[in-house]
Amino acid sequence: MKNQSMRINKILVCCGPGCLSNDSLDIYEALKNKIESDKPYISIETTVKATGCHGFCEIGPLIKFLPLDFFYCNVKVSDVEEIYQKTIKNGEIIERLLYHDQNSNQKIKSPEEAGFYKGQKKIALRNVGEIDPLSIDDYMKRGGYKALKKALLKSTTEQIISEVEESGLRGRGGAGFPTGFKWRQCAQMQNFPKYIICNGDEGDPGAFMDRSILEGDPHSIIEGMVIGAYAVDSHSGFMYIRDEYFLAIKNMTKALEQARNYGYLGQDILGSGYDFDIQIVRGGGAFVCGESTALMASIEGRVGEPRAKYIRSVEKGLWDKPTVLNNVETWANIPVIINEGASRFKSIGTAQSPGTKVFSLVGKVKNTGLIEVPMGMTLRQIIYDIGGGIALNKKFKAVQTGGPSGGCIPEQLLDLKVDFDSLDKAGSMMGSGGMIVMDETTCMVDVAKYYLAFLSEESCGKCVPCREGIRRILVILEDICNGRAQDEDLDLLIEICETVQATALCGLGKTAPNPVITTIKYFKDEYIAHIRDKRCPAGVCKELTIYSIDKDKCKSCGLCAKNCPSSAIKQEQSKIFTIDQTKCTKCGACVDICNFHAVKIGGALACR
Amino acid sequence: MQIIIDKVKCEAKLGETLLTIARRNNIHIPTLCHSDALAGQGNCRMCMVEVSEGKTKKMVASCIYPVTKSIEVITNSETLTKMRKTLVMLLSARVPHNNTILKLRQEYNLPPVTRFKSDDEEECILCGLCTRACDEMGISAISTVNRGINKKVSTPFEEPSTVCIGCGACAHVCPTGAIKIEDIGEERIIWEKSFELLRCSNCGKPFITRVGFEYIKNKINTEIETVCENCRKDAITKKLRDIYGF
Ligand SMILES: Cc1cc2nc3c(=O)[nH]c(=O)nc-3n(C[C@H](O)[C@H](O)[C@H](O)COP(=O)(O)O)c2cc1C
Ligand code: SF4
Repeated sequence: MKNQSMRINKILVCCGPGCLSNDSLDIYEALKNKIESDKPYISIETTVKATGCHGFCEIGPLIKFLPLDFFYCNVKVSDVEEIYQKTIKNGEIIERLLYHDQNSNQKIKSPEEAGFYKGQKKIALRNVGEIDPLSIDDYMKRGGYKALKKALLKSTTEQIISEVEESGLRGRGGAGFPTGFKWRQCAQMQNFPKYIICNGDEGDPGAFMDRSILEGDPHSIIEGMVIGAYAVDSHSGFMYIRDEYFLAIKNMTKALEQARNYGYLGQDILGSGYDFDIQIVRGGGAFVCGESTALMASIEGRVGEPRAKYIRSVEKGLWDKPTVLNNVETWANIPVIINEGASRFKSIGTAQSPGTKVFSLVGKVKNTGLIEVPMGMTLRQIIYDIGGGIALNKKFKAVQTGGPSGGCIPEQLLDLKVDFDSLDKAGSMMGSGGMIVMDETTCMVDVAKYYLAFLSEESCGKCVPCREGIRRILVILEDICNGRAQDEDLDLLIEICETVQATALCGLGKTAPNPVITTIKYFKDEYIAHIRDKRCPAGVCKELTIYSIDKDKCKSCGLCAKNCPSSAIKQEQSKIFTIDQTKCTKCGACVDICNFHAVKIGGALACR
Repeated sequence: MQIIIDKVKCEAKLGETLLTIARRNNIHIPTLCHSDALAGQGNCRMCMVEVSEGKTKKMVASCIYPVTKSIEVITNSETLTKMRKTLVMLLSARVPHNNTILKLRQEYNLPPVTRFKSDDEEECILCGLCTRACDEMGISAISTVNRGINKKVSTPFEEPSTVCIGCGACAHVCPTGAIKIEDIGEERIIWEKSFELLRCSNCGKPFITRVGFEYIKNKINTEIETVCENCRKDAITKKLRDIYGF
């Protein structure tokens, strides 16, 4: 495939977390060296940029070529020479490196053609993957800091707050609290100093939404924060970033420095006479430290434990002063709202949840990665159109949204619109935007157990219902999975869950029972199978699973016996293979290896 | 301002907690982690009550909920009793042999908890009062360590504290008597550390640790007599009697 008219002037190498772990930085360096050392031979000017996450992590590292807008996937360092020779010098597209869309069985050139990118709408992620996060000029070329000028030089604080209120923007950190209203309440307080905080704790395991923005477009957050600070009359801001996010901290540090040098931050911003600065606080990384009051305690240097929020942070927050705390993604939305206006923003998404939401789509879907979609898109559209459906063409079972304390949503609710209120109603939540897809091989009791085990360690342990409740919920779930539970346990489980939900001190405890409550609600038969029949229908809970070989299907090939790591499979005299239950560790190797689907997974009565 | 608690009209000051108002009006709300001297914990959740404000109804911890407007409060609905029962059950599972919790369990007509394995030795419900008391003393010899279900109260690295003065404030505030304090002759043992006790110069009873006495003396920066609380009170009464002759 040759394209003579092709003039590449920009190459974007994704250096998001997923791609970085697959050597994308080496690829970037190699490409850069090639282009620079060979400059006299290249007639086109090319800039290679290390950008933030392109989102499509499943097929990373990704390289995008502009302005022609095609991309390569799964690139390796060893491909660099060929890319340079063929694509950069000769304008040839290397078929092998194009994305192969499994559903349409086609090679795809442009991101727009790939199902993964189709249906997406980028607001918060507008620059991520498109700009060099270390370059403020890149950010400005794409309209960056225009909103700040508009806000500081041409608007009153009332106009800014009204615009944000009017836009209907709701906090993207989980609770969906109206941002404009929060700002207005804080602006009305006559108690100084006031503080502005960006919540970049992102403690959900496996989540990387906020990280991608922090790493890939730090200026959008800074711009949002300065606008917010100006609106409520604060002069001091904090960027709370979890310690493991070293690249985010590095890029943010650089970005803050640049913003100060350009007069967008610090003293006398844009000559307006207004001062505001931001400092980075590195968070210890506890999940509970993402909770607003715990986060503030942590910034103050106290133990990161929540307090009751009967007095709101906008009144008494950091050091008991009026404080506005917003999530990374919330802040990144602000410049767009100020620039393009509330009505434009409101035209996207639903009436009650305007705008878009970033999700990390992971689990058993074909295309995993970071996505941003308009609110109100259905789960089915996200999972099947963007996610490409279930991996290995297995059957969908559930999708868990909202992080560790979100709920599991079953197949019958796949047409649920994804917005704050619909997810709540289904017993789950938006949370910060985790979305984990599960297929038929998942045991829902095991899933609930997994999340509660996480929460049992991440609860701060301060209040009785959360600490003691989660502990006992976990015991019951473990007993169910081991076949040691009784019928009454289900009622006890519900009783404890309801009490924890109603009486826990902070959001962690209040939401912790969600995985249990939703799995009981939507997958009760699985609980019953475990408790009464001592059987794990998905074949996940080892104590409740027996592997056996179906005589009728077995062709006596012996492949399973060869591959059994515990030598539990023997050939009887009758030539038929059988599994010695005393040796079997239920690893499932035989199930995977058998070409004739002859290994059966069944339930067993657990030994008491 | 007036609020209504269980149909009783109660006078309330702005910012006062519901618990304070209820107690003043002899309305009983159960608590475990509350102490008047160290208020504002909100950890045990036994004091949750229902607050109605117009159409909205919510459950709040009365020990920390500040009154800001006229509200109606219910302290003993069926839901609340059910929640408290579950909390007591969870606490009983944690400290099966503790007397305070045992009494509470009987009060709520609950059977012993057999469903869960418990630590027979455990007496602490992690209410947090002891570490608060120690902090207030300005010592901070004990603190909670670990998160979540592994949380516990401990001296640093579980070794005898180097800063503890053996004052016993922690044991004094503990609602379940979980902190062992042993006075034998002129020795006090607390948190696995031994202290010398000073005798009251009047009655001769051992009443304060030597380090504790020195600590207080230094803190208030004046000489004080080694006289125990009882004798000090007696002395004052005697003085009054001498003066007024009653
Ligand atoms: C246990 C727990 C963890 C949380 N973690 C985060 C987090 O990592 N990031 C975040 O922005 N918000 C988190 N939140 C929500 C915050 O408390 C708070 O609502 C949010 O940061 C407010 O910003 P927003 O209005 O822009 O969403 C968490 C809440 C709870 C209860
Ligand atoms: S609900 Fe859990 S995390 Fe929140 S304060 Fe209570 S113990 Fe801590």
